[in-house]
Amino acid sequence: MTEFDFLLKFDLPDPETDPNKFVDALYEAGCDDAAIGIGQHGRVALNFTREATSALEAVASAIANVKMAIPEARLVEATPDLVGLTDIAQILGCSRQNIRKLVVGNKSIFPSPIHDGNSAIWHLAKVLPWFKAKGNYKIEDNLIEVSCANMQVNIARQMQDLEPAFHRNIKALLA
Amino acid sequence: MTHPKKEIAAAIEYARSKDWRVVEGGSHAWGQMYCPYNDKECRCGEFCRTSIWSTPKSPGNHAKQLRRVVDNCTVHRNKVTNDDEE
Repeated sequence: MTEFDFLLKFDLPDPETDPNKFVDALYEAGCDDAAIGIGQHGRVALNFTREATSALEAVASAIANVKMAIPEARLVEATPDLVGLTDIAQILGCSRQNIRKLVVGNKSIFPSPIHDGNSAIWHLAKVLPWFKAKGNYKIEDNLIEVSCANMQVNIARQMQDLEPAFHRNIKALLA
Repeated sequence: MTHPKKEIAAAIEYARSKDWRVVEGGSHAWGQMYCPYNDKECRCGEFCRTSIWSTPKSPGNHAKQLRRVVDNCTVHRNKVTNDDEE
């Protein structure tokens, strides 16, 4: 068993709902290994430290626990997954300038962002192995595993917006 | 009252030392802690009010989570960075 640290954010059906009213139900549904953030109406955020045999199992079982307590809650995001330069720097424990220099200097071999521009973002799961291969960063394997699991969950969530017919047509073009 | 688990009691003291307001009460929750900044620009908004369990699965992990909430407060972090730069 390994411990995985991750954060899940959910939208509540009514944006005026005080999430405090779900705290006991979340505890009883098995979220006793999470700190629960209830600072915004219509939202609930859970910072899990969950033991499981894999990160995917940890994240999926955590989502199942929340859905048991609040069936109408909708997952917004699992983090850490989408990251900018500042987030990467913070995760690796170095300065933003340091990371920026590395990314700009290695543009041809650095993993492609999912959005480029003034504030480029990457999937953490794509960039961590690159930094790990460089050798001078201490990156825990369970962080890499959880970032892969979160990427799967977030992509799966976004797939709900994808038109099946269009997907069939575009899939070959994106290969 | 102090929290019966000493790791969590220490994390609550840490939050208090950073001006977080701690309010006791609840059934499964021992209480809640409130960020002192209450900033609309805050990017970690959900955790500006965080629930504290009486008997979490692991008191040690829960204490770490609570400390992380305090440390991740963006207003707090910017303040620390600015102080460092001065």
